[in-house]
Amino acid sequence: MGEHMDANAQLIEHMMNPQNYGSIENADAQGIGKNPENGEKVLVHLKVKEEAGRPVIEDIKFQAIGCSTTVVAGSIITTEAKGTDFDRAEDIIAFTLGMLDRVPPEEAACSEMVAVALKAAMDVYTQRQIDPEYPVISYKIKNSCEIPEEKGEKQ
Amino acid sequence: MKSVMIEMHEIWLETMMAGFMSSGEKKEQLFDFAAIFFRHFTWLENELIEIGEAYNYDRNMMSVQAERLSDLLHRIIKKLGALDLQLESSPDRELAHRISSDIRYITGVMMKMKDERVEAFNRALKYPGVALSEEATKAFTRFLFEESYKEYELILIYNYLKAHSDDAYLNRIFQILIDESHFHFKSFGNMMAKMGILSVPRIVMKELYQVEDVVQFLKDGIEEELAAKEECRALSEAVGKDSAELAAFFDFINMQEDYHITLMKDALQHYTKKETDV
Repeated sequence: MGEHMDANAQLIEHMMNPQNYGSIENADAQGIGKNPENGEKVLVHLKVKEEAGRPVIEDIKFQAIGCSTTVVAGSIITTEAKGTDFDRAEDIIAFTLGMLDRVPPEEAACSEMVAVALKAAMDVYTQRQIDPEYPVISYKIKNSCEIPEEKGEKQ
Repeated sequence: MKSVMIEMHEIWLETMMAGFMSSGEKKEQLFDFAAIFFRHFTWLENELIEIGEAYNYDRNMMSVQAERLSDLLHRIIKKLGALDLQLESSPDRELAHRISSDIRYITGVMMKMKDERVEAFNRALKYPGVALSEEATKAFTRFLFEESYKEYELILIYNYLKAHSDDAYLNRIFQILIDESHFHFKSFGNMMAKMGILSVPRIVMKELYQVEDVVQFLKDGIEEELAAKEECRALSEAVGKDSAELAAFFDFINMQEDYHITLMKDALQHYTKKETDV
């Protein structure tokens, strides 16, 4: 966890009370973000409703095998994504991935894992509109959690 | 029976949390009650295994934040009452009777417990009697969140392995590791309460305890224990300048990891030998 992260009261709040942690029974889609270096991963569950022909995230939950930074990232990103349509959720993902080079490596890896898990779940939902049996997608992250010089497998 | 086990899991955790946030004689009493609930949880789990009913350790996310201890105790008492009613329809009358009997006594004691104001959630980030630097506070806070969850996770992993093993040698090792993790969980939970950051550990994902490859799990576990030793060493160094007492505690935890590594190596050797013999 980065120095400025746990000093922030809002982040302590997310560590004490992570939002949207858990699973959704009969979820419409799930997606996985995985760190191939250490086996850490995030699983995102989505309940989606169609509004005026656009998919909207009605409910979102996440589970993590990882550190408390991953849980904080999951809590923040899922809170942002809940209630938004897929276009807005794509913006949240792009914003998260775009800021990764400005945060410490371990935070970058954790946030990326949540962002790509959300992307995977949305992609699964989209694919399931064509093929209802479409399997869960797992995307690997590019940032390394521990050694900044080494890069993980490409997505 | 499955829902009773889930509720007992939640009650065990809530009673631990009540112990963390309380003081005086009732603190140890609550920890003792929590230990009884954990044993009932394992009885119920064993019952599910015997009747061949699929189960896991999923539970509801819980918030135990309270202004007064009685707020949480009333919630626990209410849940125990509901659980007692559910036991009426349990097919295992002997087990139901044992649990009901404990529930009746424990709720009676809880009702009479002296109330107190709870400071465990005040986010003060101050350890009583110790002036930690900002850097040491950050390291300590991070450690407590990471490791309190980790110990809860280990309790569930070893408990699940034990529940699904009939090997006495391995089960002896698993039980020691469960007991050790209970001690660490209790220690870190008490520290979190003192720092004002007490929280319930998150739900453990199934694939962590429904271990498919025990040999690999043990190998990874030894690596994790080595990493935990390094975490303790680093924390001891970080807090050492401000508190010799805290540094000594984390050195002690560091050395305990050696003990865990030896036990896990024993289990690995035993398991590998068992697999080779088959």
